[in-house]
Amino acid sequence: MNPYIGIKHIEQVDSKTLRILWTDDKVSLFDTVELRRLCPCASCVDEWSKRRTLKPENINESVRPVDIESVGQYAVQINYSDQHKTGIYTYKYLRELSLN
Amino acid sequence: MSFLDRFQNKQSKNSQGVLNLTCTEDTVKDALRNVIDPDLNRDIVSLGFVTSIEILEGKVSVTIELTTPACPVKELLQKQCKEHIQNIPGIKEAVVTMTAQTRGAGIKPANIQKSLGQVKNLIAVASGKGGVGKSTTAVNLAFSLANSGAKVGLLDADVYGPSLTQMTKVGLPEKSVDGMLVPPVVDNVKIISIAMFNDKSKATILRGPMAAQIIKQFLSQVHWGELDYLIIDYPPGTGDIQLTISQLAPVTAAVIVTTPQEVALVDVRKAISMFDTLKVPILGVIETMSYFICDGCDKQHHLYGYGGGEKISNQFGIPVLANIPIEPKLVECSDKGTPIVISNKNNPAAAAYQKAGGECARHLSLLHLKNKDALTQFSLKWRP
Repeated sequence: MNPYIGIKHIEQVDSKTLRILWTDDKVSLFDTVELRRLCPCASCVDEWSKRRTLKPENINESVRPVDIESVGQYAVQINYSDQHKTGIYTYKYLRELSLN
Repeated sequence: MSFLDRFQNKQSKNSQGVLNLTCTEDTVKDALRNVIDPDLNRDIVSLGFVTSIEILEGKVSVTIELTTPACPVKELLQKQCKEHIQNIPGIKEAVVTMTAQTRGAGIKPANIQKSLGQVKNLIAVASGKGGVGKSTTAVNLAFSLANSGAKVGLLDADVYGPSLTQMTKVGLPEKSVDGMLVPPVVDNVKIISIAMFNDKSKATILRGPMAAQIIKQFLSQVHWGELDYLIIDYPPGTGDIQLTISQLAPVTAAVIVTTPQEVALVDVRKAISMFDTLKVPILGVIETMSYFICDGCDKQHHLYGYGGGEKISNQFGIPVLANIPIEPKLVECSDKGTPIVISNKNNPAAAAYQKAGGECARHLSLLHLKNKDALTQFSLKWRP
């Protein structure tokens, strides 16, 4: 991804959907429960093997973000209602996810 | 039919007759629309880079204004412009002048307005760890940008271990009329270092607040004048001085210097997280001591491991700006006070630094363009 793509606008669509408008005018929609299951932090993904240690079924369908904050110029940090807030989702990662 | 219409009518008839098509500004513009800026993926006309077009009997002169004099694709764009203009029927000669108007970030706080008001970009050169070649990198970045025609300043903020006076053989500053220090100039680069005010052999022993005070003076009482880039050589680590500079001065962006090995990377991550906390965007990583080419073969020997810069780049989504080889000449030049990008331009390390300078300038321009409509900071409260 072009490292200079940033976020133009970020908003909540419904109780669990996040919408991001990128500076190249692409739009991504994210299911935030799914994002929680795809958390890239070190307690959810083994740093060495890159294998996901977090089991998707352990994340309740009712989990929601509490707030979402920018990290530098490159990522967002999502603070979830299950007290989990170490996940830093880089723009690069989010763009990759939005392709699928 | 007006006079003008009749004139144009006559001209077009003429041109059909003798196959001499009229070349207008629009014809030239249309031709230049084929020249695409590889970074922005848009043509130079719609980007507004074409600032003047003159047509005189088969000769076209155009001026292209780039966003930085250190643009790495300057020659390529110039060549393409020339070719596309010469392809216009009836044009025999094309003169393409490349200029630059460096993009810079906005308004600065009042207390540093007098000193830094005309400085367009402040670039921090930082590392988590000492001894990775940060000062060498800062010096050569500064001189490589100056080589490309940019107006450059260099501030040695490493109050405890200043090395820029050694690396550049710079003189002493003068006091100007309004009580501001005028930085001495070496090869078009303005330089200020704490070593200019100290006895060389004595250690700088300062409490944190004192060191911060000195940095404050460097930022508020030095007459930097008009600069495209002010390179700030940070002290290693993530402490008081780094915070002071980043809080006092609106640092536009940071460049992270690292060696390839894992031990260095641990501290690089800390430096990156510091800049993130301070909301300073990171332009990229410069990997020093990347490899060594001995005089026996052309093989690159990776003395300090391999791919450290790449690892950081992948993890944080920031580019590797250059890989600098281990070069005895680089060490020699630093010790002699003659930056390698000035004294030994053909050396591989000099070429790598020159590339790094171009990449820095390029990413900075892109950053300004991106930031035009990107949110720099946001917080979204989720409604249940």
